[in-house]
Amino acid sequence: MILAFLIAFPLLNLGYRFLSLAITTGVTAIALYGLGIQFGQAGIMSVGHAAFVGIGAYTAAIVAGMFGIGFWLAIPLSIVMSALCAGMVGLPSLRVGGQHYIIITFCFCALLQIILTNGGTFTGAATGLDVGSIDHLFGINFDQLRNIYYLVTLVLIICLVTTYLIINSPYGRTLRAIRENEMLARAIGINIGLHKIGVFMVSGAFAGMAGILQAYYLRHISPILYGPFPSLYLALMIMLGGSRLIYGPLIGAVIVSFLPEIMRLDPIDSRIAYGIGLLIVVLLLPGGVSAGLLDIYRRLRPRSLK
Amino acid sequence: MPALEVIGLQKEFGGVTALAGVDISIETGKIAGIVGPNGSGKTTLFNVVAGVYKPTGGRVLWHGKDITGKPTYEINRRGLARTFQQAMSFSGLSVRENVQISYEHGRSHSATSQRKINWSSPDEILSFVGLDRVANELAGSMPFGNLRLLGLALALSTNPSLLLLDEPAAGLSENESEVLTNLILRLAEMEIGVCLIDHDMFFMGALCERLIVLNFGTKIAEGPPSIVLNDPSVVEVYLGIEK
Ligand SMILES: Nc1ncnc2c1ncn2[C@@H]1O[C@H](COP(=O)(O)OP(=O)(O)O)[C@@H](O)[C@H]1O
Ligand SMILES: [Mg+2]
Repeated sequence: MILAFLIAFPLLNLGYRFLSLAITTGVTAIALYGLGIQFGQAGIMSVGHAAFVGIGAYTAAIVAGMFGIGFWLAIPLSIVMSALCAGMVGLPSLRVGGQHYIIITFCFCALLQIILTNGGTFTGAATGLDVGSIDHLFGINFDQLRNIYYLVTLVLIICLVTTYLIINSPYGRTLRAIRENEMLARAIGINIGLHKIGVFMVSGAFAGMAGILQAYYLRHISPILYGPFPSLYLALMIMLGGSRLIYGPLIGAVIVSFLPEIMRLDPIDSRIAYGIGLLIVVLLLPGGVSAGLLDIYRRLRPRSLK
Repeated sequence: MPALEVIGLQKEFGGVTALAGVDISIETGKIAGIVGPNGSGKTTLFNVVAGVYKPTGGRVLWHGKDITGKPTYEINRRGLARTFQQAMSFSGLSVRENVQISYEHGRSHSATSQRKINWSSPDEILSFVGLDRVANELAGSMPFGNLRLLGLALALSTNPSLLLLDEPAAGLSENESEVLTNLILRLAEMEIGVCLIDHDMFFMGALCERLIVLNFGTKIAEGPPSIVLNDPSVVEVYLGIEK
């Protein structure tokens, strides 16, 4: 049903604005699936996730500018680059715990923004870099917004399926064990350090994919897109949507992107609305909106399930 | 050669000496007990052996190989498992998932030849300890006695040849305690070594083939229960000074 809706969405002809909003939401959701595994399964929050989206985006823009490598070939490069950087930023997490590590992610994000802003022609400084268009593939023209939408949707579905497979695999269970009790996890033979770095890399890989999509959709990227503020938004979305259930990240991205549009809130009002929304969710729905919906669904249909 | 050999083990926390040079050797397939008053260093001994803390001095040998200061996960993978005095679990997950995680790691990390029991599924382990009926419950919502059994199940799933149990009987009812005793006896029959800690001299005397008594981080007696329980220095520690 959801799949049918995603495919039919452009056919509703809601106009250019809604279609581009849907693309942005899709890209955001892709990045959020990474954070969803990291936070929802392994229990490690980050408020610097946008930095890895940025590394994916800048990698794509730089290899295009310097070596003429186009979108399709740059995909693995962006993914690997973001994953590697995320793994490196994760190294301090082996020595410091929870709250301290969150601050490190925030600092890295701020640091990256400074580096990008002062990177001269290499990073395009504060104005950023222009990006070309996506090369035709199988005769599909990606200059059309609708086709970019379908591309993003396809990647989103792949991310969703990947997340589902991870959650239900021994690997996903291992991450949950680390989330629940590190000391016990070690005692049953789990190499915590390896898995922590591993999950940062997985999380970074999703962010890198989101980054290259964003770069080629926007056709222009700049440091401000990847600073602490967008990172905080990602953290907000994952908490609103819920990180442990498969639809949580998608719901979080949709709520935060579409609600202000539908309710016609200006940016200041929407921030107040997010703040209130987050408070309500934290107090009433600790598992996020996705867990809340699942709970309501189960309560409404107890008989039909039996 | 003993399976586990601890030589001159010392551990200090700041100014506190938890272990002041302890020598112990433990064989598999036998039940050994460690007794001693609160704060005598029993838990610390397990923690140092299992790699949670690095010792200040001394060595830990496992089948003759030096494993002193190796990471906890690696020591477990070599067949040395332990439970915790606080009865730990992955409290937000179901009982079955708890055991499944441990089972999957045990499977991938232990060689088939090294396994004393070839568990065929997590459910088999749950039935073995008697938790099959509560498999779908949230681990954290279980009563204390079941948590103790879950802790044992988690350790067992990793295919150990020696189990270190930290006060497995503490807080258990008489019935639960009997269930536990039977389990421990069955483990010994399967050639899995058990080394357990408890305060209760009578419980330990009945269960263990050998007792080791610690006091202030030093071993003050060792041997069969009949001899150790009549040792004047042990009686002194447990019953106060008798003249
Ligand atoms: N992590 C620690 N930090 C500081 N002191 C500790 C720590 N663990 C144990 N101790 C101290 O070491 C001594 C032995 O403790 P422990 O091994 O827990 O005793 P037991 O298990 O025999 O009751 C106690 O004095 C205790 O306070
Ligand atoms: Mg103790």
